[in-house]
Amino acid sequence: MLKLNLGAALVLGLSVAAASAQDMRAPEGPIEFTVGAGAGGTPDVIMRTVAQIMNEEGIVENPIVVQNRSGAGHSNAYNHVLALPGDENTLLTLASPVFTTPIVQGTPSVIDQITPIAGFIQTELMLLTTPDSAWTGLQDMVAAATAAPGTVRVAGGASGGNDHVATGLIETAAGITLTYIPHESGGAARATFLGGNVELHFATLSEGMEQITAGTAKPLAILSAARRTEPGVADIPTAQEQGVDVVYTQFWGVGGPPNLDPAVAAWWADKFRQVTETQRWKDGLAANMQTGNFYALDEAKTYFAAEQETFRTVLTKIGLAK
Amino acid sequence: MIDALLQGFAVAFQPGNLMFIFLGVLVGQIVGALPGLGPAAGMALLLPLTFGLEPVTAIMMLAGIMYGGQYGGTLTSVLINVPGEASGVMTAMDGHAMARKGRAGAALSIAAIGSFIAGIGAVAAVAVITPPLASFGLKFNAPEYFLLAALGIIATGSLGQAPIRSLLAGVLGLTIALIGVDPLTGTPRLNFGFPALYQGIDFIPVAIGVFGIAEVLASLERSEKIEPIKTRLKDMWLTAEDWATCRFSILRGGVIGLFVGIMPGAGASVASLLSYLTERRFSKHPERFGNGAIDGVAAAEAANNSAAHGALIPMLSLGIPGSASSAVLLAALILHGIKPGPMLMAQEGALVWGLIASMFLGNVFLLILNLPMAPLFAALLRIPYTYLAPGILVISLVGAYAATLSMGTVWMCIAFGILGWLMMKFDIPRAPLVLALVLAPLMESSLRQSLLLSLGSPMIFIERPIAAVLLVAVLFSLIAPIVRVMRRRDKVKA
Repeated sequence: MLKLNLGAALVLGLSVAAASAQDMRAPEGPIEFTVGAGAGGTPDVIMRTVAQIMNEEGIVENPIVVQNRSGAGHSNAYNHVLALPGDENTLLTLASPVFTTPIVQGTPSVIDQITPIAGFIQTELMLLTTPDSAWTGLQDMVAAATAAPGTVRVAGGASGGNDHVATGLIETAAGITLTYIPHESGGAARATFLGGNVELHFATLSEGMEQITAGTAKPLAILSAARRTEPGVADIPTAQEQGVDVVYTQFWGVGGPPNLDPAVAAWWADKFRQVTETQRWKDGLAANMQTGNFYALDEAKTYFAAEQETFRTVLTKIGLAK
Repeated sequence: MIDALLQGFAVAFQPGNLMFIFLGVLVGQIVGALPGLGPAAGMALLLPLTFGLEPVTAIMMLAGIMYGGQYGGTLTSVLINVPGEASGVMTAMDGHAMARKGRAGAALSIAAIGSFIAGIGAVAAVAVITPPLASFGLKFNAPEYFLLAALGIIATGSLGQAPIRSLLAGVLGLTIALIGVDPLTGTPRLNFGFPALYQGIDFIPVAIGVFGIAEVLASLERSEKIEPIKTRLKDMWLTAEDWATCRFSILRGGVIGLFVGIMPGAGASVASLLSYLTERRFSKHPERFGNGAIDGVAAAEAANNSAAHGALIPMLSLGIPGSASSAVLLAALILHGIKPGPMLMAQEGALVWGLIASMFLGNVFLLILNLPMAPLFAALLRIPYTYLAPGILVISLVGAYAATLSMGTVWMCIAFGILGWLMMKFDIPRAPLVLALVLAPLMESSLRQSLLLSLGSPMIFIERPIAAVLLVAVLFSLIAPIVRVMRRRDKVKA
């Protein structure tokens, strides 16, 4: 605390008690949010929303640029950030490929090298089937897959991605074998599903509800720990209720380059917390039926480590881990 | 529906909106012309600037970049033989050949007119029959994509004077496409331990190198004075004969482009290739193709523009982006608080119809922007090549850097420049290599997806009606040349 100038100390003094326990220091100059997804992907949309709120609500004065370094399962993005140890002007967007790509390629874990800052948004998933399907619940699907292993097909995103992991978890929990068909993007997978070519497809809650409302899909289960409360979604039972013990949530966060000054990391964690406390952020979460559990710094580290374990277990089981 | 469209026009005609539509198409024109920086990247760059705007204004502007890019891409294809985008490869084939004959102005004009007519037609289709077209698009899936891509790859064998040389280039392209990561299992392959090759080799450095840099390298060898291409003013404008040749090519290209555009898996490059091949197949003078056939330019440009518009159909009615740029448009909707998906047209009618009306206006702007400029840009070729070459090199290398923001791409681009120069020396056509590179990922993924869908049975290519028709076309294009050769031999014997 002695190092802080008076102005910063005053700001800190006004800030929450927890924050004052830690040194905080603002980075200087323009900031890059590195995103491993292309423009338009979910991580891209999330980080652009964050940047917009930070700048427009005056939470962060530094100009923020969202930079898409897409391709190669986010490794273009994370390799860029890993090569900038101590850099105070670059943050890496953490999405599942940042965890799974190193596992699949047999390269060193990324999450163990970067400086964890925050995990701040989660999306629950639902399992959909075609609207004309005879199945009325998850157990009907399990029965069909048990009777003829491998005949029930899932259209999902990239190999080793979220949909693939969720498929693996369901296979393990129900003791069945499904045929997973990877696609270059979630949109392409949805086209395969809507064209009636496969039986199963995963969707986020808001995407899934759009399909259900339009009569182009039928829900089998949500992969959450408890039912949602929103009208419409509340009627969809969880997988656990139906005897398939799977809880799986997609999540996103941010980390800094390796050896980032803890004071800067703490400053960022505080800024992300402030974003999640704005009404605009909360409205966005509600509209998209997303969850906003917030994990900062050490909590984030523990949280990310646990998620990485899940990925490693499932990918090993599917046979993708190196 | 007429009422809705009129209301859409009322929105689009507001002065502020008109200005942003114009701004959008202008930016599209520019980013389309810069190799490496396509419309999708341009849209992503400008996305944050639209946050202060009304959602409908923002979407109109961003969509303007999307289709404006298809007009802009023509410029570098024709003038310096560097396709700004994958969909410009076919335009470069005949467009640049025309430029060498001093007819760059005519090539640019017919491209603008072809794009305009096809664009307007495609917007009309978006307005009138979006829901049924979208469900038709869904009938195309992995098996059909595989056969379409196979059709394209086989046809690359015919792009050039000697089929064997073209096939050789095509196979080289296929091999390059395999470098990187297996799309289905995520296993690294053919990277020889170089981490830089994990991400595979993208179309952009290859196209820029093989076309743009190779041309410059080849010109270095001709140490004597290179005559600037003769570009006389009277050759700039389209003749009545040109128009008569192109009328129906534009029509056919537009229809093919629209249908390929609505398939969520194929794109503008597949559209322009297919329509170019169709034109040549039904042309009375197929030998002109590759040597400056104006109907080839017209068909390819009409097709890629109508495909760019057609990609909006699955996006608006199903929430499925049919191309990289429509994915950015989808993200823009989300960031502006609008939920895309099957309910979009019902819930956000004003926005959708405003967008459709804006595309009519935007295409008019682009025609006005491009027609008078065509002779002006064509006149650039009057500059002696000695002065032009460094400029081409700079544009090419900056474009390669801009595509990925890494120097690795620049080196790759130079390496492919040398490869392209070697291919020119050995008289191996370069277009099949680039086309194979574009088509290979689609062909590979969709073949393997098909066999996963069918649980291993190849019958999936016969059981699906559309696939069966395409399979017949594939077999025909494989067998026809062999039959032709055998007949010729019989004649020689007799």
